[in-house]
Amino acid sequence: MAHYAVTAIGADRPGIVAALTGALQDLGGNLEDVSSTILRGHFAMMLVVDAPGDPDEVRASLERAAADVGVRVHVADVEAGAPERPRATHVLTAYGSDRPGIVATLAGLFSERGVNITDLSCRRTAGPEPIYAIIAEVAVPESVPAEDLHGAVLSAARDLGVDARLEPVEVETL
Amino acid sequence: MVRYPDPVLKRVAEPVGEVTEDLRRLSADLVDTMRAMPATVGLAAPQVGEPVRAFVLDVRGHRRADTAHGLVSLFDPEILEAGDPDVLREGCLSVPDLTANVRRPRRVALRGLVPDGSVRVYRMQGFEARAALHEVDHLDGLLILDRVAAPSDLFARKVYR
Repeated sequence: MAHYAVTAIGADRPGIVAALTGALQDLGGNLEDVSSTILRGHFAMMLVVDAPGDPDEVRASLERAAADVGVRVHVADVEAGAPERPRATHVLTAYGSDRPGIVATLAGLFSERGVNITDLSCRRTAGPEPIYAIIAEVAVPESVPAEDLHGAVLSAARDLGVDARLEPVEVETL
Repeated sequence: MVRYPDPVLKRVAEPVGEVTEDLRRLSADLVDTMRAMPATVGLAAPQVGEPVRAFVLDVRGHRRADTAHGLVSLFDPEILEAGDPDVLREGCLSVPDLTANVRRPRRVALRGLVPDGSVRVYRMQGFEARAALHEVDHLDGLLILDRVAAPSDLFARKVYR
């Protein structure tokens, strides 16, 4: 059993997920995490799957299925022992008038401090004065004081002219 | 403790009608089990494999607690009134590897039987109301997974192998 990371992208239409996961099922594969969305009309999917058999056959089969629905697929061998998923500790939300560099600036600030972005979703609105909105989950190492990070985020947000918040992820077990 | 996919967690639990000695023992067991688990403020009978409409709750000392009626043990709880929803990320001992953003009323009035057999009405606010409604969901076979509204409301809690 080999472990693959599959990405697919192309013009969106109904049936892409069915075509790709159907091909994996025919190969005897078993899905792990899947993320699929539409980015301004472009279908985009990433998934991790366990599948038996010849890696070339897995690749060829996915490429055939992808071609049928007009998307391009990329298949990477990944190690079966998946690395640990970092636990998100904080949620960043930031939004404001669109301008280049909002994501890069905030991501750079996290990167400098060893803060890992575990999930990121951004949307730009249509129209003549678009709004840019970011929601991200990040894993802040214990060595990084959350107040300092929050201060740095607010300061960068001010410079960018966006509103931002960094809130701890709090789970209540009931 | 049972965990999903144990079917007892997905069925509608049976009303008790009246509080027997066995049910008082069950309630005491629920309290002991709840107190033995870290950071646990409530437990419903189906979570220990008993398909009956009973739960216990104690939010005293919790930093989010608004009202706190102390130890609450209710049988056949009935929601008289609920409103004013908000969203909080909930975890559940019965689905330990996932968490979910769950929208619930901030205010609830609950009527049920207490261990001495009498009927009592509780008016709860904030975290206590949320915790009680989470437990009532268990009596109806509903888990946090039944309460998510969008893909972004569901999270993996643990590292995986």
